[in-house]
Amino acid sequence: MKELEAFKQIERFYNNQLNPEELAQFKLLLKSDPDFAEYYRQYQQLDGTLRFYSRRKALKEQLTSIHHELETSPESAPATDRKVITPFGDKQKRKIFWNQHYATIAVAASVAILTVFGTLMSIDVWRSMGKQQNARYTALRREVEKIKNSQRAIAKGISGVANSGAARPIPANFSGTGFAISSDGYLVTSYHVVKDADSVFIENQNGQRYKVKNIYRDQAHDLAILKIDDAGFSSFGSLPYSFKSDLSDLGERVYTLGFPREDMVFGEGSVSSKTGFEGDTTSYQISIPLNPGNSGGPLLDNQGNLIGVISGQQLDQQGASFAVKSAYLKQLVDQLSQDSLDSPIKLSKRNYLAGASRPEQLKKIKDYVFIIKVYNN
Amino acid sequence: MPNVVYFSEEALLAGIRREDETAVAYLYKQHYPMVLHFVLSNNGTEEEAKDIYQEAVILFIEKIREETLELNCLIKTYLYSVCRRLWLKRLAFKSRFGGAVSESDTFVDVADDVVEYEEREASFTKMAEALVLVGEPCKTLLEDFYMQDLSMQEITEKFGYTNADNAKNQKYKCLLRLKKLFFNLYKSEVEHE
Repeated sequence: MKELEAFKQIERFYNNQLNPEELAQFKLLLKSDPDFAEYYRQYQQLDGTLRFYSRRKALKEQLTSIHHELETSPESAPATDRKVITPFGDKQKRKIFWNQHYATIAVAASVAILTVFGTLMSIDVWRSMGKQQNARYTALRREVEKIKNSQRAIAKGISGVANSGAARPIPANFSGTGFAISSDGYLVTSYHVVKDADSVFIENQNGQRYKVKNIYRDQAHDLAILKIDDAGFSSFGSLPYSFKSDLSDLGERVYTLGFPREDMVFGEGSVSSKTGFEGDTTSYQISIPLNPGNSGGPLLDNQGNLIGVISGQQLDQQGASFAVKSAYLKQLVDQLSQDSLDSPIKLSKRNYLAGASRPEQLKKIKDYVFIIKVYNN
Repeated sequence: MPNVVYFSEEALLAGIRREDETAVAYLYKQHYPMVLHFVLSNNGTEEEAKDIYQEAVILFIEKIREETLELNCLIKTYLYSVCRRLWLKRLAFKSRFGGAVSESDTFVDVADDVVEYEEREASFTKMAEALVLVGEPCKTLLEDFYMQDLSMQEITEKFGYTNADNAKNQKYKCLLRLKKLFFNLYKSEVEHE
């Protein structure tokens, strides 16, 4: 009963019902009696919690009734009450479903897309690999760099139209090499150099520049015969080299002149096989390092006999270049002379190079080797 | 719809402080759509939105009435922050979505407020349990005294006690029983943890 009495006392203290005497006694008791102090503390906590409990409970009830009101009055709760019936079920549910699973769906979709495109790409790569296997051969005509083109265009733009004038040569789209085969203006080059040509110009080391008109093509042997058609041209004079009809021997030293860039470049090597690419009997395999632009260049042996026309290179093999045998050039010239031309082409038969040193030979030849500039649009 | 339109937040806060029901209703209705939208767009349901929102409003109103809240932002921002916090906790409890939400509003730091609220909510639940355990007629008696604010005289008449002293004695007995139950619940809670 001590506890009950204590509680009574404490409550009276809380309600300020104690007279001064009792108040003093109460405070003394609070200090001296630990049990009483504990009751006091418990009462405080209990009373506080009960009051708090009642307040919160009231508030909760109030809010619940407000919420109920909110739900029952349709105009104040537009988002909650509007249920649209659609053929696809409850929109709200779908939305929740989407919110919960959109990450998974996104991952699945990206995986699917990646797989599809990955498969397509790998099939494509596989196919192009097959194609590469077949096309290891590359023709050596030079595609004049686009950068150079645009740089020149810019330079032209800066220097102004009047200044540049019409005399400045426009850079060609493609270039190759060619050489004279007769004194009256016939030249030979590779077929692929002049393949899609609109107009063809030739130019040699001395800066002599001629327009070429007639072009006779032999696609099978990758050869083309050009005829100079220019008022400024009279004759080449006698050519220093002759044309060989027999096969050259393996290991014979050979060399070529060509225009893989704007300047003439000399290349030397030897005949490494009597057959060309994939056993092609119309050409030699030669061990001269070649570059795009060398196509159509003359292939000469030590004595200064022309034995072939440079044509191409095997891509996946180091130093395997090819040249069309001169016998086929002769054959083409003979046919042309018979069929298409008014007067036959006279191939030079005399050789002024035999016995001369290599630099001497080159000095004599260089005027007869031309850079072929091909324009097309 | 409330008859009074609260034009300013100060007026609304004043209304809440003097326990104006229309103010509370106004506050509640004004911000519910925002929280509903927030919860729905973060994997929640309408029911959960209601729970969360009511907790937040209770927290807010209690703190306003006890003058323990220094409101440095809009009421809307505060409520949103509390709801966000509560919802993050719930998501973490569900532990399915790792507790990341897509923000639809700015928010302020309310971590301490929420922790305090949860402690008080725990004692609220304890008290509710204790009141159920204490049984009739003690429960009604105590509720009448503390919640309905009935005087001892009214209670005496209602329960048919012979006089007020009798009723008072009964009240103290009930209080003592409640105390015992309440502190036992507290203790068992501590032992559990």
